Amino acid sequence: MVGFGMDSNEVMIKIESLTKSFGRIKALDDLNLEIKRGELLGIIGPNGAGKTTAIRMACCILKPDFGDIKIDGISIHEDPIRIKSMIGYLPEEPNLYERFKAKDLLKYFAELYGVPKNDINGRIEYLLELVGMTERKDDRINTFSKGLRQRISVARALVHDPEIIILDEPTMGLDPATANSIRDFVRNLKGNKTMILCTHYMAEADSLCDRVAILNKGKIIDVGTPSYLKSKIHGDVILKVRIQNLDDVNSYKEQIMKFASVAAVDFVDEEYLISLKYRDEISEIVELFGNKVNSINTKEPTLEDVFINTVK
Amino acid sequence: MKFTSITKWEFKNTLKSKKFMMIFFLQLSVLFLMIIIFNSFVTNIESDNGVSITPSLSGFASMDVLDQSGLFLKLINPADLTVIPLSYNNSMNNIANGKTTGFLYVPGNVDQKIRSGQTIDMTIYLDSSDPKSSVVKDEVNSTTQIISQSYSNTLTDAVVPQNTTIPTVKKESTGESLPLQIIKKVMLVILLFLPLLLFGNMIIDTVVGEKERKTGEILIAMPMSQAQVIIGKSMAVVLTISLQVAMWLVILLIAGFHIDNPLLVFIFIFLTSIPIIGITSVVAAYSKNFKEAGIGLSIAYMGIVGFLVVPVLLYLSRKSFIANISPMTIVMRLFSGESIPPIDYGISIVTILIVSIISYWIAIKLFERDDIMFGPRPGILRLIYDLISFKKF
Repeated sequence: MVGFGMDSNEVMIKIESLTKSFGRIKALDDLNLEIKRGELLGIIGPNGAGKTTAIRMACCILKPDFGDIKIDGISIHEDPIRIKSMIGYLPEEPNLYERFKAKDLLKYFAELYGVPKNDINGRIEYLLELVGMTERKDDRINTFSKGLRQRISVARALVHDPEIIILDEPTMGLDPATANSIRDFVRNLKGNKTMILCTHYMAEADSLCDRVAILNKGKIIDVGTPSYLKSKIHGDVILKVRIQNLDDVNSYKEQIMKFASVAAVDFVDEEYLISLKYRDEISEIVELFGNKVNSINTKEPTLEDVFINTVK
Repeated sequence: MKFTSITKWEFKNTLKSKKFMMIFFLQLSVLFLMIIIFNSFVTNIESDNGVSITPSLSGFASMDVLDQSGLFLKLINPADLTVIPLSYNNSMNNIANGKTTGFLYVPGNVDQKIRSGQTIDMTIYLDSSDPKSSVVKDEVNSTTQIISQSYSNTLTDAVVPQNTTIPTVKKESTGESLPLQIIKKVMLVILLFLPLLLFGNMIIDTVVGEKERKTGEILIAMPMSQAQVIIGKSMAVVLTISLQVAMWLVILLIAGFHIDNPLLVFIFIFLTSIPIIGITSVVAAYSKNFKEAGIGLSIAYMGIVGFLVVPVLLYLSRKSFIANISPMTIVMRLFSGESIPPIDYGISIVTILIVSIISYWIAIKLFERDDIMFGPRPGILRLIYDLISFKKF
């Protein structure tokens, strides 16, 4: 499924009919997706939607039951070693070798990635500076906080200067400052690298990603630019109306839906959420409730609204 | 050849580990202690007195003897029974009071009566409620037999012509007795093979540790096959074992043990470590955590020890050709200075090769399986079915 909003035609990652089961549970069900070179694709979805399974397969960590992933035209079935060398993978949990010193850890992985010996030290110095860990390079990993571990994990994923970067929940559980620094880091890499970002933070996906894929129960529900997804679900604006009398909810919903500007109506937490395609009829809609109105607000639709609306 | 990087870093980290160094030196201390005990044991065995392996009965049971002929008092073994020569009345009192276990009465003129073919009436009083009474009865019986045999020999000698030359038979023993061979050879060879079993479990730490720390995912994402990961880690353990075997050999040589062909002995132990690590890798690849691995390792090592030691005993008792399937047999024969035909080496090397190939193949295949690394893990029966049917394995 190729959505709206792509501006490059060169496909870097092509996922075709990807299917994977764990025992009786189908984690991925005929997944299709294309990611352009230099694009940052966000994958959002509820827990157990299949996000991690999909990216583990792209990294050749898991093998699909059916289907294929082609990275720069190379199939994961044909040359997984070549594909692995093209990808920098940051897993969900920054689990590292506790007894290693920071610089030794990077050196170890640089050797495993086959970075030329002469380049290793320079590359490590550069990455340590990039993630702000030069002063801690001789400290052991077991002395690091979660934030520092995540920074060194990012450096580890980039040690071989990969063409593709795959990040699984890179800011989960981090303090706001560290999370922002990781986001800035991703933002700086945008355009130079092809990236996949799995996240639970909708604002993060909204602000960073060129396109967002919504995954649920192993299938892609929708994919497109954040603004495209928001407009598709909620239009221009959401009108929030809270009233005194909670009777006749269905009757009110029916009446509201008769307005031409209304795209959808929901009643959540004793509040009417009215998605409007345009704003011209707001006063007429409010008049419908008469003097029962307690409060009226408008808000711009977010990716979170899209997410809730799509996966509910 | 990415596995060499894994080997290098694993080996480096092992040597840097304080825990490893502590275990390493503890083992060396145990080795020194075993050498001391072993030496004193062998010295005692080889001494004229020997070493009694059964406890002495001296002091266990006592008997009053009223021996008017003096024959029994002379022949009863004091190591087995404490003999107290006393009068009839006192002895009966002693039995009643539990001071002695029995009382033997031997009449006078025993020698004369036997020589004239008469029967001797001896009387033994025992407290049948005392379990020690059977010991006393046995000792009296055996002493009676000795006396009887002695008189028989005397009478037989009397009818032999006097001018017959009695041939001198020189008793000479060749080689060592089986128990001494077991102690001297098997114990030494077990000492040399110990590091294989003591350090073989390091592969558990490196492979299962990857699963428990959840670092395995990153490692699999590296541009190399799972086979390279397993082989790289195994080689680091093989290197560590080699280092320790070399040190143990040097220590044994310094301690005065005679080992012929120490280099060949070392090479064979080194080769043996490869399939042992392979089998341990299978346990590690399948295990979810250290607890499971520990159980698996105990079962596997029972099999390995049996496979190594039983053929050695078979060789010592029967010089069995098939006993050479165990590299331990070859090593024992090597340091004993035996001349070993090439076919015997061949059997052992082929065994090592076959077990290594099969065990590493299984370990790699297990490590490659998504369900084993990330779950849900299949049961052992299911895996055996997959293995037999070559389905997905």
